[in-house]
Amino acid sequence: MLEIRNYSKSYSEGKKAADNVSLSVMSGDIYGFIGHNGAGKSTTIRAVVGVLDFTEGEIFIDGHSVKTEPMECKKVTAYIPDNPDLYENLTGIQYLNFIADVFDIGAADREERIKKYADAFEITSSLGDTISSYSHGMKQKVAIISALIHSPKLLVLDEPFVGLDPKATFTLKEIMHEMCGQGTAIFFSTHVLDVAEKLCNKVAMIKQGRIIASGTMEELTEGHSLEEAFLEADK
Amino acid sequence: MRNRPLILLRALLLSTSQGNILKHSTDKKKKKRIVGGIVGAVVLYILLMAYSILMCIGYGQVGLIDAAPVMCALIISMLAFIFTVLKTNGYLFNFKEYDMLMSLPFEASTVAACKFLYMYIKSLPWYLSISVSMMIGYGVYAKPAFYVYPIWIILGFFLPVIPMLAAAFLGFLIARIGAGFRKTNIVQTVLTMIFIIFCFSLRFIIEGIFKDDKVTETLEMTSQITDNAAGVYLPARWFSDAVTGNSVLGILLLAGVSAALFAAVFALVGRSYRNINSALRSHAAARNFRMTGQKKHSVVQAIAFKEFRRLTGSTVYITNAAIGEVLALLLGIVTLIFGFDTIVSVVTQGAPIDTAILRPAIPFTLYFFVGMMSTTACSPSLEGKNYWIVQSLPIEKKTLYQGKMLFNLYLTIPVMAFSTLCMCVSAGVPVLDTILYLLLGAALCAFSTAWGCVCGVKHMRLDWENEIEVVKQGSAVAIYLLPNMFVVMGLVVLVVFLGMRMDHRLLALILILIASLLAALSYLRVLSLSRRRF
Repeated sequence: MLEIRNYSKSYSEGKKAADNVSLSVMSGDIYGFIGHNGAGKSTTIRAVVGVLDFTEGEIFIDGHSVKTEPMECKKVTAYIPDNPDLYENLTGIQYLNFIADVFDIGAADREERIKKYADAFEITSSLGDTISSYSHGMKQKVAIISALIHSPKLLVLDEPFVGLDPKATFTLKEIMHEMCGQGTAIFFSTHVLDVAEKLCNKVAMIKQGRIIASGTMEELTEGHSLEEAFLEADK
Repeated sequence: MRNRPLILLRALLLSTSQGNILKHSTDKKKKKRIVGGIVGAVVLYILLMAYSILMCIGYGQVGLIDAAPVMCALIISMLAFIFTVLKTNGYLFNFKEYDMLMSLPFEASTVAACKFLYMYIKSLPWYLSISVSMMIGYGVYAKPAFYVYPIWIILGFFLPVIPMLAAAFLGFLIARIGAGFRKTNIVQTVLTMIFIIFCFSLRFIIEGIFKDDKVTETLEMTSQITDNAAGVYLPARWFSDAVTGNSVLGILLLAGVSAALFAAVFALVGRSYRNINSALRSHAAARNFRMTGQKKHSVVQAIAFKEFRRLTGSTVYITNAAIGEVLALLLGIVTLIFGFDTIVSVVTQGAPIDTAILRPAIPFTLYFFVGMMSTTACSPSLEGKNYWIVQSLPIEKKTLYQGKMLFNLYLTIPVMAFSTLCMCVSAGVPVLDTILYLLLGAALCAFSTAWGCVCGVKHMRLDWENEIEVVKQGSAVAIYLLPNMFVVMGLVVLVVFLGMRMDHRLLALILILIASLLAALSYLRVLSLSRRRF
């Protein structure tokens, strides 16, 4: 579903934020992307979802190139950034309707999906309020719902659990499992190794822009914890 | 102990300093844009200075050079007052980094005063360029003693202070009143709009006040009005006395009152500062939403609705972008109530003009207001940090821009049509001509929308901290606004001139074709710009 081939991103002063990154995320995978702050996780994720331009390498989503067929890629992808800057002047429901309109979701379907996820995240009663009145966690919930309502084939999340309360974290994990069971590929970055260990079937570790280890959870941990495997690979 | 206000002021200035960005940024595009902006500003400074010097020469030629200092003081004061009122919300109150600043060990009054000083320092070069230019013009004709020049220059720094303080205080009152209501933004927007309309009608009010003076000649009248105004606005009189009469008292009064007012205003503002900002920044959540039938819209319509909410959700944006529409509506309604002839008579101060020859200018007069600002000139930049949303969604750039353009058409065409109808009915314009004027108005709105979008997309700037940087100071808005305004003023005169020599209907048809062609070309340019990647 997602294939990153030799992707590199350099800044004008020559520093490489991502260096020859390659990985594949298949349908049904929950793929964790872990690394230190500034390791290149967000840079890679932003290139995958078409927010950041890149010159070296290729990224394919559902067989389409992010470079040459960005629209085809975006139609099947949903992205949740680490710090969701949403349209503050829209109400929650207006924002969700906006996203639903973009993805051409019919009135009945959108109503059902918004209700399902808004109830799950216990945010339904706040949907009529402007986003500017929301807390960080509530904005994060709206961003998550907006990503889920169009049933994407690929879900890309950048630090999705930051700012979420325990109940919402649990709900999101449940939804991720449910989506994965339906064939959606999930690619997400996280600092929380415990979460990654319990949630993911595959993991890639990135350090200074380079992938230092990747594979299935079993291959990487070899009977140890993910934390131990990460610290070992990070040496 | 380090001087905390100075540290704060330095940080505020540094955070928006173009020099700092040029020095530290490695983004070549950004550097180019900054250099372009500096070049544009230099051109504007040159124009402003040339205009100021020419104005002084005009006064010198007719022997009224003694009025130049008062005129200088009044022009600077008026500009400082108006521009500060428009900027208060966003700079002084309800700014993005409020939480961060207030969490630091600063007094509320220190934060407010530093934000004010920041506004003052940023706008000072504009006021000084007027002051110094008029000083040069005054020097050429009045040949004053050498010490007048340093006095003039030093007092030039004080001239904008009192009007800016008055404006900041007015902004504070508006914010204070707005903070008492649940719909703070709406109350603030309405009050600011009322104030702007008051400023626009100030000319007529001043003329009304001084009508009894029976002054006849234009320049003499201006000089007399200036003199009378200085009698009412004392700082202008103090400045004039200081530079023309070597009045030490004038110098002391201008400097002393500025400093005392500064201290008084910020002691007062400081008391309610936290309260006002809290009200402006916190929104009571109703939490009473119930899911009812949701409707489906096209992507373009959805974007247009998003733009509508963006406009109505920001006092700064709506007061700058929609003031033209409000003024056009008012002009239409006032004309309908008082009659076309009466309005023409008021504007031309009773000059014997056959009002029929002014009819072809109706669409352009209204377009002067409606087209003054196009939301499309700033809405691409206003995406700011939200740009990730549309970037990561399957929306073609073309569709995004079409949505933004559609919203501007929704905003402008109904206002243009309504006001045109009001004026045409009042002026007794025949039905066929009225239809042509309606079409011309629509074509002009289409041009304004598409041309604004060209400017907005070509000069898009997403890395702003305060939306004022985009709405009021953005290069896209300046490039759209200034030529558009001057060309329209010229067109009003040209259309009246041509209307006296050719059939009004034929003239309107030609103008519809030209405006439509320009709109189409601009639209094609938007489409070509939308094909650019990132």
